[in-house]
Amino acid sequence: MKTIEINHDIKNSPACMAILDQDMRIVDCSRTFLKESMIQDKDIHGKYFYDVFSEFPEELRHSGSDLFVDQQLNIKMVRISSPEQGVKWYKWKVYSLADNNGDHLGFTIIREDISDLKRNEELLEKSMNVARVGGWEVDLINNIVFWTDVTREIHEVGADYTPCLEEGINFYKPGADREKITALVSDGIREGKPWDTELRIITAKGRELWVRAKGEAEFAAGKCIRLYGIFQDIDEKKKAELNIQEISERLSLATTAANVGVWDYNVVDNTLVWDDNMYRLYGIRREDFSGVYEAWETAVHPDDQEEGKKSIQRAIAGEAEFDTEFRVIWPNGEIRFIRAFAITQRTESREALRMIGTNWDITEIRQAEDKLKNLLDITSEQNKSLMNFAHIVSHNLRSHASNLSMLTAFLCKEKQEEERMKLVEMLDEASESLNETVRHLNDVVQVKTGATEKIRPVKLLKALKTVQNNLLLLLQEKNTQCSIDIPSDLMVNAIPAYFDSILLNLFTNSIKYSQPDSDLQIDIRYRINGDHLRLSFTDNGLGIDLERYGDKIFGMYKTFHRHKDARGIGLFITKNQIEAMNGTIEVESEVGKGTTFHLCLELSESNTD
Amino acid sequence: MKPYSSVCIIDDDHIFIYGVKRLIEETSFCDELTVYRNGPDALNELKERPKNNLDLPGIIFLDLNMPMMTGWEFLDEYLQIEAQNISQTRVYIVSSSVDPKDLLKIKEYKVIRNYILKPVRVDDLEKIIAEHS
Repeated sequence: MKTIEINHDIKNSPACMAILDQDMRIVDCSRTFLKESMIQDKDIHGKYFYDVFSEFPEELRHSGSDLFVDQQLNIKMVRISSPEQGVKWYKWKVYSLADNNGDHLGFTIIREDISDLKRNEELLEKSMNVARVGGWEVDLINNIVFWTDVTREIHEVGADYTPCLEEGINFYKPGADREKITALVSDGIREGKPWDTELRIITAKGRELWVRAKGEAEFAAGKCIRLYGIFQDIDEKKKAELNIQEISERLSLATTAANVGVWDYNVVDNTLVWDDNMYRLYGIRREDFSGVYEAWETAVHPDDQEEGKKSIQRAIAGEAEFDTEFRVIWPNGEIRFIRAFAITQRTESREALRMIGTNWDITEIRQAEDKLKNLLDITSEQNKSLMNFAHIVSHNLRSHASNLSMLTAFLCKEKQEEERMKLVEMLDEASESLNETVRHLNDVVQVKTGATEKIRPVKLLKALKTVQNNLLLLLQEKNTQCSIDIPSDLMVNAIPAYFDSILLNLFTNSIKYSQPDSDLQIDIRYRINGDHLRLSFTDNGLGIDLERYGDKIFGMYKTFHRHKDARGIGLFITKNQIEAMNGTIEVESEVGKGTTFHLCLELSESNTD
Repeated sequence: MKPYSSVCIIDDDHIFIYGVKRLIEETSFCDELTVYRNGPDALNELKERPKNNLDLPGIIFLDLNMPMMTGWEFLDEYLQIEAQNISQTRVYIVSSSVDPKDLLKIKEYKVIRNYILKPVRVDDLEKIIAEHS
């Protein structure tokens, strides 16, 4: 029996270590061994090792000197779970002890606590499993491919499956996907370029799957010797992503088609984001502005900015939902109406975080509304004037008819020839008045029941000159100065006969109601408002007390001056004629200073020809 | 003694005025008849009467549709005249108007006794005489 020489350092070794004799009896051990074996007895010398560490792995239990030649097989990892220590991993190593002659003396046994390492490994594996991340490696020298379990699972192949590089690549979907991975791998091998891409494979079971393939190459002496990387199943995520992309594309298509702009305001960071439709609605280009806010401020009508900002503030403060309208001015000067709506996202404590809103163009709706309202106004106005007209007609017919009947009654009784003559004269006058009233009635009814003629382009200056010439004598009598500033080619849409009658009426009114002791001055000016012409007809005549007569000036049989020819029918007919031509008439006047009539008529399209 | 001392007609229609004048003569309706062709003329003259110790008319036949000033406008200004017997004036609206607005307005004025739709007949004047006696 040979004796083992004990190196005393063994006692102090931090490793859990024991020296055994050939019979597996403990010769010596480290203090750590004593501690970890939990043997109270300090003197364990000569104790049978297997009694002390019953968990010592079966595979390593040797009798005598028959140690494995392969050192690897003398190492074993053991997992222990106990109520005291929980789960522990130990690595056992057994080495042969020999003397200088190489004769077998016994064993050195070392136990390492590798629980932490194992735990990390286990967790890593678990997380790789959960994240469906596999690994792979290609040894290009031996052309051996290694796949981890997860990689195999993703490919839906058996645990013993090992592909070659080409087979691995052939899992990729034929076409674009396979071409891409082939190119990436070739580049990797040739130039060492790493890759990270998302492609589709067809698994062994024929399922299509989105994967993330990440790889890099290792070079030695300028030659690629190894490729390795990870392989991840991203099918669910990718499909969700594609789905979101599809939905957002669909949404964007819908908002674009509906011309709805979407904006997103981050209240906390004070940042505003617009989609492309927003710029389109405001008639501006994204690249012309440094920021969205600047773009908004530039485009919104100055009169509406204040209210717009207030609406935002109210929405942030939670006083009212953001739901408003404003105007924007396009770079070409066009004014568009925008409807805006937004919802405000808040924290639990009601602090505003973010506002997401929409804008859309309601110009056409507003214009239609205005037109409708206008039509309604005109209709109710016309109704009112028709009612008024009916009463006036009845009044006038009655007054003439009653005169006629009264005069006739007198005539029947009258014996005196002189008085009879007087009565006949008056009868004649009354019947002429009746006739005139019927003629007025006829004029008005003609205008009311719609044009006897169609609206067509009329040369404004020519019409004015014709009327002026017809009234030349009357105008000369008043020493009239006519100043007409109208281009000769300006055309308006009008019914020629009505237009002449309106101008005639305006001229004769100016003559009739001129200042008795000064020359008459008539100024005719124009202004163009979009597609309308505003014609202003100003005189320096008596003027009308508009505060007193304002609403009656265009009424029937309303006269405001002591003038023998004042009939109170002219302006009534004028107004009706203007309205029959889709125009309007307004008046401005000051007693003693003069009167201005503003006529608004459609410009003829022939102007732009 | 005629029923009324002073009667006034305000109307712009001279044929009507001729007719009423004749009827008044026929019925011996009053001593004195004044005719005005419009509201402003009537007001100008009538406003002067109290200042000159003259009586205001006992009866006014008032037309509604007149140039420059309607009958209603005349009446509003007339009632502003400072005179003791102003509210004793009997106003008869004489008009061809059948406008409901005018008919409603009559009720707003205490001084209006009646509304006579043209033509005026002898009966109408006789009725007024009967009311007075």
